[in-house]
Amino acid sequence: MVFSSLLFLFYFLPITLLIYYLSPQKYKNIILLIASLFFYAWGEPIYILLMIFSSVVDYSHGLLLDKFRNNKSKSKLVVLSSVIINLGLLSFFKYGGFIIEILNSTLGTSFASLDLPLPIGISFYTFQTMSYTIDVYRGEAPVQKSPLSLATYVTLFPQLIAGPIVRYKTVANQINERKETFDTFSDGIRRFIIGLGKKVLLANNIGLLWSQIQNTDISNLTVLTAWLGIIAFSFQIYFDFSGYSDMAIGLGKMFGFQFLENFNYPYISESITEFWRRWHMSLGTWFKDYVYIPLGGNKKGKVKLYRNLFIVWFLTGLWHGASWNFVLWGLYFGVLIAIEKAGLLRIINKLWKPIRHLYVILLLLLGWVLFVFEDFSQGLEYIKVMFGFNNVALYNNQFLFYFVNYIVLLIILIIGSTPFFKNKYNKIMKNSTNSRTSFYENIGMTIVYAGILFISTAYLVDATYNPFLYFRF
Amino acid sequence: MQHITHFYTLDFRAEGLLLNIKNKIIIPVFILFLTSLLILNIITPDKDFSESENRVLSQLPSFSFDKLMTGKYTKDIEDYITDQFTFRDYWVSLKSDMERLLLKTQNNGIYFGKDEYLLEDYEEPSEQIDKNISNINKFKNKLPDVFTSVVLVPTSVKIYEDKLPLFASPDNELASINKTKNNLNENINFIDVYEALNSKKDEHIYFRTDHHWTMRGAYYAYETLANSLNITPYSKEDFNSEIVSKSFYGTLYSKSNDRSVSPDSIEIFKPKFDIDYTISYVDTETKSNSLYEYSHLSKKDKYSLFLDGNHSLINIKTSVNNGKKLVIFKDSYSHCFIPFLANHYEEIHVIDLRYYKLNIYDYIEENNIDEALFLYNILTFSEDKNLRF
Repeated sequence: MVFSSLLFLFYFLPITLLIYYLSPQKYKNIILLIASLFFYAWGEPIYILLMIFSSVVDYSHGLLLDKFRNNKSKSKLVVLSSVIINLGLLSFFKYGGFIIEILNSTLGTSFASLDLPLPIGISFYTFQTMSYTIDVYRGEAPVQKSPLSLATYVTLFPQLIAGPIVRYKTVANQINERKETFDTFSDGIRRFIIGLGKKVLLANNIGLLWSQIQNTDISNLTVLTAWLGIIAFSFQIYFDFSGYSDMAIGLGKMFGFQFLENFNYPYISESITEFWRRWHMSLGTWFKDYVYIPLGGNKKGKVKLYRNLFIVWFLTGLWHGASWNFVLWGLYFGVLIAIEKAGLLRIINKLWKPIRHLYVILLLLLGWVLFVFEDFSQGLEYIKVMFGFNNVALYNNQFLFYFVNYIVLLIILIIGSTPFFKNKYNKIMKNSTNSRTSFYENIGMTIVYAGILFISTAYLVDATYNPFLYFRF
Repeated sequence: MQHITHFYTLDFRAEGLLLNIKNKIIIPVFILFLTSLLILNIITPDKDFSESENRVLSQLPSFSFDKLMTGKYTKDIEDYITDQFTFRDYWVSLKSDMERLLLKTQNNGIYFGKDEYLLEDYEEPSEQIDKNISNINKFKNKLPDVFTSVVLVPTSVKIYEDKLPLFASPDNELASINKTKNNLNENINFIDVYEALNSKKDEHIYFRTDHHWTMRGAYYAYETLANSLNITPYSKEDFNSEIVSKSFYGTLYSKSNDRSVSPDSIEIFKPKFDIDYTISYVDTETKSNSLYEYSHLSKKDKYSLFLDGNHSLINIKTSVNNGKKLVIFKDSYSHCFIPFLANHYEEIHVIDLRYYKLNIYDYIEENNIDEALFLYNILTFSEDKNLRF
């Protein structure tokens, strides 16, 4: 099930909320667990076994770690076993076909492809569950003695299928002791509605433009159409992904959880390094805490630093999909960040601000081309069109038509990529001292939120285009 | 004094209360919205058919373990929820309003043209058009003695290209029509009706809200092709024209979801002279004496008025005693065109290759037919995968 569906919004959510809040405290986790399993089983009835298996593995490994707390070598074996099982699951389901393909093409073998459907969200939840055993091993989180509570964490539906990657230590205390208040609940609703609007009204709409341009034969594109297309995709993936995160964070709040932020206006970054501190932050911190730093980070000399960067960005790329273009995309950013670390950053910082933005946006757009074309040669053709190789026209009527049709939406998207609305909102909220005007301003804001919810419903009922982009992740 | 203090505290309390609840008004709004729609969705009865969208709506699927495990069951449930969502038409029109607010001029491949014209996009044709051309050539090679004619009708997006929104640039239908003309065997009679239609574009020759031409448009094509079929066309004065509906919302209206356009009208032409028709709808084993099925006028798909919509095979026998027999391979553009041709043939056999799956060569031989007409609009002809025998 996905959040941006009528089934979720008008059946699953109200019913789950109702049962959850009518139940006594001690049953709340089991209700969340059942709801989450139902949520997952809806689209993937068989893979629910995977989810249960994952919970059992992590629960038992947690207990073992607790038992061998004072035995370094044994606890090391236990955590290793947990990591191997989790990565094994991920490799088998997500990378099995890819590995076979590589073997077949390099060794000339002809193993049959597994052709397994990818369990939805597997990359997110295996990373989450790994964080549990590692955190317990490191003593950064307490062991979870209740199997139900741990299963609740592993299967928690708000962040199950598209992140954020919630680490165990972030919510360790909240699993057993959390307070649902009217304040967090109303915050959660607002956050959810914002996310829903980002996904349904903004991402899906601009995605339509990208899908139109993507379906045009590359040889029929003009320079400006190609740029418009990749800009459209950049907005689509940002508003889609951050919209999902907003919905997840909002839903978490409705059930009393506080997740960490996942996006922080990445497109206003002034360097690529900064971009990755603002984009999919939960993945970045995961790799930093569980890969980069254990490898020695930047503390073990220049050579190891670059080796570590290479490993982290290779894996980051691979995480996004079992295909070489994602690896290339990851390494592309690895190289850029390495160059920035090596000294470019100091030069960039002296440049005029608009130039810094231009630098970042240009490199990001090229990055998205690598990301979106699974076939690298096609991506290259696309980039050639962007830069006017092969004498392609600068623009044509098709471009002007798209431009006129999407200019209003594009302006909204550009403003929405900056903290403009947030700052305006905070200003209103800040002024809300003991005055009646602030009451009316709040009513006004409520009407805005209700409006977004209302219009999103209309777009869901008449959904011509509502893709789930992360089935590859 | 006490009175004033009392009043003051009351006011203060009220203010405190307001401040306390102001952030939380969203909670009842949200919960009420979700639950009221949940309840409405459960209690409103399901519909079979959407008139405005012109399609059958999904129904509650039956449960089976197999369907559950393949994920089909849950997908069907979601389709069912979407299709049966309460006030569906209202939500659809709200979205359409929002799209226009965003200054969009196209939706689902339909342009919102000037003067309330909805125009279906024509994209550069794929290889399918070449296959269709060569299939007609094969037909002619196999039956060299059958006099074969081809008419490809442009769609409204070509005739009314001046009504297209700013910068809209569909592919040129004339290029496809001419390409077909040039690649057909020389012994095939190709009839170009573009000029005839284009010169009458000020008349209501295409529907604004539907992808078909009107019977008036079909008349001008009939007038043009009559000579090359060796028939003398009746003049417009030989017919009584009559508006039979002023509330027609066609397929483009449904597809584009532009709910702001006004309805179309449907005009029919009935001969003033005496002639009888016997129409047999072979697939449904029904017969009629009229080329029009008026019952469709009270439904959504009013264009089915002409020859009762899509049938795999229709036999039309007329009181014209000239022994002429014609087979027509066609799409639905022919439905309002055939009533004109029927006045010149003793028998017309209408075959829709999308549904007719028997051997047509046998059929032609068995019925001693010596004349064939392919009548398609250029959009169908460019895409249809069923034009093979």
